[in-house]
Amino acid sequence: MSTIQEYLTNDHRKCDEIFAKMEEQAGSSLESTRTFAEEFVADMEHHFQMEERVMFPEFEQKTGMTQGPTEMMRQEHTQMRSLFSQLLNAINENNNDRFFGTSETLMILLQQHNMKEEQMLYAMAQQHLSAESDRIVAMMDSLIVE
Amino acid sequence: MKLSGLSVDQAPPISAPLRFFLTAPLFGMIAGILILLSDSSTLMSRYSIDSIVVTHAITIGIFAFIMFGALTQMLPVLAGAKIERVKQVTLFAYLMLTLGLLAMIIGLKYELPSFTSFAYIGLGLGFFTMILSIVYAMRNVENFTATIKGMVASLFFAFFIASMGIFLLYEYATKSISQYHYLVANVHSVWAIFGFCGLLIIGVAFQVLPMFYVAPKFKQFCKKRVVVLISTGLVIWLVLNQFYEQYELIAKIWIALFFWAFATTVWLKFNKRKRPISDVTVWYWRTSSIFLTLGSFLWIFDEFFKHEYIVMVGVLVGGGFVLSIMIGMLYKIVPFLVWFHLNAMGYMSIPTINEMIDKGLAKIQFTLLILSLIGFIFAFYIPQLLAPSAVYFIISMLLLEYNVLTPVLIYKKIKKKKPDFDMSVFSIQGKN
Repeated sequence: MSTIQEYLTNDHRKCDEIFAKMEEQAGSSLESTRTFAEEFVADMEHHFQMEERVMFPEFEQKTGMTQGPTEMMRQEHTQMRSLFSQLLNAINENNNDRFFGTSETLMILLQQHNMKEEQMLYAMAQQHLSAESDRIVAMMDSLIVE
Repeated sequence: MKLSGLSVDQAPPISAPLRFFLTAPLFGMIAGILILLSDSSTLMSRYSIDSIVVTHAITIGIFAFIMFGALTQMLPVLAGAKIERVKQVTLFAYLMLTLGLLAMIIGLKYELPSFTSFAYIGLGLGFFTMILSIVYAMRNVENFTATIKGMVASLFFAFFIASMGIFLLYEYATKSISQYHYLVANVHSVWAIFGFCGLLIIGVAFQVLPMFYVAPKFKQFCKKRVVVLISTGLVIWLVLNQFYEQYELIAKIWIALFFWAFATTVWLKFNKRKRPISDVTVWYWRTSSIFLTLGSFLWIFDEFFKHEYIVMVGVLVGGGFVLSIMIGMLYKIVPFLVWFHLNAMGYMSIPTINEMIDKGLAKIQFTLLILSLIGFIFAFYIPQLLAPSAVYFIISMLLLEYNVLTPVLIYKKIKKKKPDFDMSVFSIQGKN
């Protein structure tokens, strides 16, 4: 079984790929990319919930850092969720400029967020939670989005 | 491991990187004006005072300013490291670099030793403050990624080129040109472009290309070895250049081949990128690959023509490669910084980063810059091209200033309004 770090990092890459597909399809028409956009938003929401409902609480419990990095990551999740709804709205309104403007903003925000998680938070989580790694990954794997 | 980079409260204030970014095009304009005021024949000699002044308005005024701004911003994100007292340190370094560079331009151009003396002190303080505070900030970094290795190697060369630069300026100020002067100047220029700028760009490309353009990742060999191999090549070149000049070419081929390989890899990665968006930043990456390829080969051929083409190599590698990529990155970084800081303060209804810079103006800026670079290259054969090319360059830098200033003005305007949300509930002050 993969480690927490590998599991969540791979999930980032999966989301990146669907994001790229969504943008590529949007090149033809916004309506045709609706399915990809919904899939992307759903995958991201799943990823956020794996962190917010499983990994972050485990990390906080182990390290006692409840107001630190995990809280900042939650805040960035909130920022991104707001962009998700703007992205879907742009499709509803068939507003090309708004869609690509939002997707570009989202892309950079997402990537620098991923960078921080992958290079710092996940590495640290793996260090602190290595003994429980399999259990945590299994829990994240079986999570059902609320 | 420090996690300070994960907190927006601890990210550098927006003014720290922006100050560097907004000043860079101004020095670009100064460089263009200096070219206009120079004679084309003197610019063809790399060691003429006119050439030195123009080169440094660009290499320090644009390259070093953008690199220091970007490093200040990227350290928390890429390395989880933070410069201590970042506001004061970057402001001090910025002032020293700006005043030092202006003094250098005036001191050398008008032969005023007091200005040149101030220049080496100011530039020395500015460079060393930035280099040493970044290195100090990185002392606790455990996860040395390929990008961080690129940064460290780049700073290693920066330390030496700054020291050599101080020595060279000191000699100009005291009018005591020693026998080592031109040897040092040669090493200074090669290490500056390929070491300081080149290695930082390569290191950042490892991260930026896959992330922003969803291009395939660089191979492990590239990420693990290339920075070390180029750095070694540069050190070996130094030894050969100083002591065994007849073998110098081997080291040059070594360095040029790696840079050419990098240029080709970037081109191929863009071909295979999964994100089909093509904007002016992609154009900049593409053209920089072409210019770097031409520049690397010409640097080798130049060896067989008594260094006749070295200024052309400078235009291709410095202007075509380094400058192009840096401007491309500015177009991404500045709007994002504005968006990120506003959003973190609770402003939700703000323009997206695509709406902050006029795409048409960015394309005109790109076209003018490329035309000016091509003009500078051909001015080697047709001196009449120099003046119009300089004018294109100045307008292109003026547009660049306007383009990067627009998002900042949007930031100032929006900040005067009340935020949509009160984000202070999220505020954490150094509790981690």
